[in-house]
Amino acid sequence: MNRQKFPLLLLMPLILLTVLVLSSVVICGVQSLGVLPSLGLSKPTLQYFFDLAKGNTAASSGSLLSSAGLSLYIAFASSLLSVLAGVLLCWAITLCKKAGGILRQLLTVPIMLPHLVAALFTVFLFSQSGVFSRLLYALGLLPSQEAFPSLLYDQNSVGIILAYLWKGVPFACYFILPSMSGIEPALYEAAYSMGAEKWKAFFHITLPICMPAVLGAFFILLSYNFGAYELPFLLGETSPKALPVQAYIEYTHPDLLHRPYAMAMNTVMLLVSLVFAFGWKWADSLILKRWGGGLQ
Amino acid sequence: MKTKRHPIAAAGIVFSGICILFPLAVLAVWSISAQWAWPDILPQKLSLRALGELFGGYSGAMDALGLSVLLGLAAAFCATAVGTMTARAVVFYDFPGKRWVSFAAMLPILLPGTALAMGLHVIFLRIGLADTAAGVIIMHVILSTPYTVKLMLDATDAMGRSYEEAALTLGANSLRAFFSVSLPALLPGLAASFVMSYILSFGDYFATLLIGGGNVRTFTVMMAPYLQSGDRTLAASYSVVYILVTLGVFLAFDFVIKRRSA
Repeated sequence: MNRQKFPLLLLMPLILLTVLVLSSVVICGVQSLGVLPSLGLSKPTLQYFFDLAKGNTAASSGSLLSSAGLSLYIAFASSLLSVLAGVLLCWAITLCKKAGGILRQLLTVPIMLPHLVAALFTVFLFSQSGVFSRLLYALGLLPSQEAFPSLLYDQNSVGIILAYLWKGVPFACYFILPSMSGIEPALYEAAYSMGAEKWKAFFHITLPICMPAVLGAFFILLSYNFGAYELPFLLGETSPKALPVQAYIEYTHPDLLHRPYAMAMNTVMLLVSLVFAFGWKWADSLILKRWGGGLQ
Repeated sequence: MKTKRHPIAAAGIVFSGICILFPLAVLAVWSISAQWAWPDILPQKLSLRALGELFGGYSGAMDALGLSVLLGLAAAFCATAVGTMTARAVVFYDFPGKRWVSFAAMLPILLPGTALAMGLHVIFLRIGLADTAAGVIIMHVILSTPYTVKLMLDATDAMGRSYEEAALTLGANSLRAFFSVSLPALLPGLAASFVMSYILSFGDYFATLLIGGGNVRTFTVMMAPYLQSGDRTLAASYSVVYILVTLGVFLAFDFVIKRRSA
């Protein structure tokens, strides 16, 4: 180990990128307070946040709270379901070696494809003229096209969540599989020989060992799905719009005086993701305290 | 040991396989359908119009595809280099503030993508990187570093320091020791980082649209309007080409790696 020297040269690229990232965070914060010297605004104010909370800006539809609530709902529902399905699927893959091996290869496909393509599938499958509506009609279970529930562009954001699941479940598996397939078979054999049932072994061996990976997948998906623009833009309802969509509308508004509104929404998103990050750290230390060292 | 059967697990695997493949099949059919009105299960008329339009010279789709591949390769190269260097610093050196390094590397995944892209756009406008390919590449490198740093940390950790030290004591200089001893040992990690960052760059839409400002017309930037406009056949065609190219690059890369390590 080289103890004396700080590896400045090796760390330089990361330092430069981090400076860029942190500066962009600072810019969001400063401009959200309405400090834009190029537009002649220099006095910090919280007015923009209040305006947004009341929902009375020109371009916005709905208040900040309803947008934030929608984004939180989409993010939590999609990442929770992704991780739940991911854990079960990983378990199935480790149980069925042969079929599981094939599925492992297949799982790389959704990871490789962008959210845009997932959005397109969702329209093809779940819109009122989609494949499922056609199949139900052919089976005589649907009287007309309009009778198919509108899953896209609706209040419950079913379409957005389904598209996030198509990307999220494989991502969760990619995260969880290495730790789950690395578990010593001897651990299970010991449990079974002492009369434990399959489910008991799952909850007392598999889950605790995989928990750090499960949390990692959950929180990464949570912050991504909370702050991403594509899916709520393509599959979301018109009002209220998710925070990222609303922020982009304000950001590209021809009137530059709308910029602080965009940045205020960005700042809200940044603060929420800060809470997520602390939540991750807290959950990590919690499982370490509860299960750490108990299983080797 | 006799093999046990797990019918529920097997059913889950089959169901997941269908969930992955069925949408792709529907997409493929849409890309060649000329007319497919509700409630028919199969298209009424097939045509290669959309695919022809894509491969034809004047749609610009092929130029966009080439640009996307180039940007992806450039961003993947840079992001992998950043990951390799950072991992080396963390594994081989001991310095104050070390645990901040992995935190700094994680930042881009922890922060909301929209806020990050808009903040960076403001900076790039000021320093002249907005609307340029270089700006888009930097953006993509930022989005990929969390993954490349993690992958290279694991790879460097697994490799350890001893081989390189052996080469050094045998009289190789440090650059030579790195390139002829460590680099081959890191190859699987390097490949994984490269592929991961290539995929992220190639598939990025929002950040590319914002930073590139319409000047940098990548394949996803060209494709997105068709998803909205409702020309389903054209949108499906773009997606099919996207999938084929991504799979092609992925398989080509896999082939090269397997040949080199064989």
